[in-house]
Amino acid sequence: MEAMQKLAAPNASAGSNYGSGLAIVTVAGAAPEQFPAGLRVLVVDDDVTCLKILEHMLRKCRYHVITCSQAMIALSLLRERKGCFDVVISDVHMPDMDGFKLLELVGLEMDLPVIMMSADGRTSAVMRGIKHGACDYLIKPVRMEELKNVWQHVVRKKWNESKDVENSSSFEDSDRQGRVADESEYASSMNEGTDASWKTQKKKRDSKDEEDDIELDNEDPSASKKPRVVWSVELHQQFVNAVNQVGIDKAVPKRILELMNVPGLTRENVASHLQKFRLYLKRISGVTQHQAALPSLFCNQVDAKTKCGSLGSLDFHSLAASGQIPQQTLAALHAELLCHPSNNIVFPAVDQPVLLQASNQGSKFLPLEKEVAFGQPLFKCQSGMQKQLPPSEITVHGMSPGFSSWSSNQLGVTGSNNKHAGLSNIQNNSLLMQMLQHQQQQEHHQESFHYMVSDSNNAINVQPSCLVVSSQSPSGITVGCNSGPINQKSLVLSPQPSSNIQLGNNSLLASSNSTSNSSNSRLNNPPLGMPPAANGDFKDIGMLSTYYPTSSLSSSSVCTSSAAGWRPQNNMKISSINQRADQLPKLYIQGSEQIAGASVNQGQFRNLGFVGKGTCIPSRFAVDDLESPTNDKGFTKTSTFDDVEKVKQELNLDFLDGTKKVGNAMLPNFPSTDFLGSLSNDSQFLKY
Amino acid sequence: MDYSDLRRQAAYMKKSLFDQGYLDEQFYQLEDLQDDVSPNFVEEVVTLFFKDSSRLLSNIEQALEKNSPDFQKLDSLTHQLKGSTSSIGALKVKNECTLLREYCNKENLDGCFRTFQKVKREHAILRQKLEAYFQVMTCNIYLLFCVFCFIFFHIADFWEAYFKSAAFIALFFHDAFLVYLRGLVQNND
Repeated sequence: MEAMQKLAAPNASAGSNYGSGLAIVTVAGAAPEQFPAGLRVLVVDDDVTCLKILEHMLRKCRYHVITCSQAMIALSLLRERKGCFDVVISDVHMPDMDGFKLLELVGLEMDLPVIMMSADGRTSAVMRGIKHGACDYLIKPVRMEELKNVWQHVVRKKWNESKDVENSSSFEDSDRQGRVADESEYASSMNEGTDASWKTQKKKRDSKDEEDDIELDNEDPSASKKPRVVWSVELHQQFVNAVNQVGIDKAVPKRILELMNVPGLTRENVASHLQKFRLYLKRISGVTQHQAALPSLFCNQVDAKTKCGSLGSLDFHSLAASGQIPQQTLAALHAELLCHPSNNIVFPAVDQPVLLQASNQGSKFLPLEKEVAFGQPLFKCQSGMQKQLPPSEITVHGMSPGFSSWSSNQLGVTGSNNKHAGLSNIQNNSLLMQMLQHQQQQEHHQESFHYMVSDSNNAINVQPSCLVVSSQSPSGITVGCNSGPINQKSLVLSPQPSSNIQLGNNSLLASSNSTSNSSNSRLNNPPLGMPPAANGDFKDIGMLSTYYPTSSLSSSSVCTSSAAGWRPQNNMKISSINQRADQLPKLYIQGSEQIAGASVNQGQFRNLGFVGKGTCIPSRFAVDDLESPTNDKGFTKTSTFDDVEKVKQELNLDFLDGTKKVGNAMLPNFPSTDFLGSLSNDSQFLKY
Repeated sequence: MDYSDLRRQAAYMKKSLFDQGYLDEQFYQLEDLQDDVSPNFVEEVVTLFFKDSSRLLSNIEQALEKNSPDFQKLDSLTHQLKGSTSSIGALKVKNECTLLREYCNKENLDGCFRTFQKVKREHAILRQKLEAYFQVMTCNIYLLFCVFCFIFFHIADFWEAYFKSAAFIALFFHDAFLVYLRGLVQNND
């Protein structure tokens, strides 16, 4: 518990100023006081006076306070930093969102205790608040004494939740309880009594929990393992069928349970699953509404998914959502698979920024050791989808093992740690390739977040432009449709000494500058050797040759990199396919914090060699080779994977080049996991 | 020394504000929040309040002046104002806001107008009083500074005569200022 408390404290103290001008983070001293210090509170109120007063009052209570004047910002803050708050205090009347709606969302998604506030003290209003599930209803003006009691609500709620059969939530709860109990231990005599009462409560609850799977262990929550109800694909399928039968609006856990007729499943399991499912749908619909940045992208993906969808309409939604929000799924999968008590199972990504945030978030909480397991499901998920998708459609959203996906027309994949990896949605059949790299953490296999999108070979060859954007966390480059000047080119924006991308015919590899996103283009195949400088930045090629002696490529295109500096951090390397003929073309992207300088290049490009196989298949770097030189600080590893089975957790970002051959080559590489397999991964998400 | 006099002055002003119902207990809560970390907390909050509430008042005025006023919007604006005023303990303003809300609910435009004028007036009065109060509070600092300077410079002998007279003049002005303030307060009463 101490450890957990310490863990919690740094989280809180690491909070930084956020968003709205009124958001302030303070780190209160955790001196023992009368009430539990260090409770992390989020206050939402559009009235600045009240907000300021509340903030000071809560600080006086030794709580950690973050204030917010808009509900939307608060929501995104909560989603972004899951587990960073213990309680939310919200005003009822707010201009952008009703306080009760916020209350519901927070309760559903994050399951935090929410306290409502209002100047309106009528009984009807208070009743409404309680009905919506508020833990408490404060009437303005708020006094210190009422705020001092906030921690009671937090504790009470958590204890009540822990009574549930829900495994995951209770797991969270026990974590929180550990923290809260720990916080309360700060208290003086006032809390000692409550400690005793808690312990007796816990004993009572334990005795009540015989049939529960939860093991309430305040002492060592992280070590306890709980058997969980595993919502397998079939089980989820049954669940969805039952829900469809009853109708999603009228779905009651009891009824669903009857319809499912699964022995050993309890009503509470179904109830929690249903809740999560509903949330999922809500989020999906929210996602479809908030696709400002990539409307077509998601639509395409959705379309693609529809072909694959074989499960009910609801499943389709979940699939679509999962396709759209891969990182969430992945995170969920990951969490699920590893029985990791993750608070981050639900990542609503209502819009791109949030999506990206979620992806950031997702990447953040992936522990290192889970990487392998994570890779697997991810892979399966992807491959499964791919199977069903049209040949040119591969969707990969990945965390450490990047798996690229592309739709026939175009594809945007979002998800970078920093988001702007802007999926530029190129409307006219342009390929969007995006590589995201996660920097340092990837090196440690902690958080790798790749996003690879590659278009199918058809697309590449046919598509007018294939845009490859590599971005890294700091740089987060979004490239729009830069393919203008290039016909049938694949535009590869490589931040750094770039790699060679072997593209199909007439594919140009353009490395982009940070500013102009121009790129060196090279033609592939037929023109052997250095591609003609279609773009102005052909100097890069020269530079390339300077930096990468090995980069000469006979049949393959020349790797160009914009040394001028994409962003210093980004480094893209494309290695020719040496080892395996059927290698997927990969753009090896490595990020480094150094400027696209020789040093970086030299260090990184150890085996930058376009071993022109004459197949125009982009070469691929061995992961190891590239990784070793990448001792640069913040050098991001890119994961390379030859084919699906070999998805490694290396944090190398592979750039999949979509050439015809590549596409063909790639497709067969996908393991033939069926769609359900991927679905199961998706559905795992729901399990918690 | 007049320093304690000043303090007494401030206390007197505050008491009168409370007695006359301009402020209520919530103001004490605000003062409790003032400490070394945030020494001017109350003044900051009050300033913030007046800025925000002025905006709200003008919004309400605009809403009232429409041909067919939107009572829902009026109600919500008044509700916001009420929340603010209750947060800093502005009692009279809050009461008028409550009245205004009732008239809004009854959709009594005339009543709304009248009550709104009252709200504005009370708001202005409170603003004046609180500004005077804070001036007295900050005067403490000014006086302290004067005293300090006086003592400091008094060390040098050849400045002695000069500063003695300067101090005398300063004190004289200070006394005059205090008298002026007293007059202000009494006028407002």
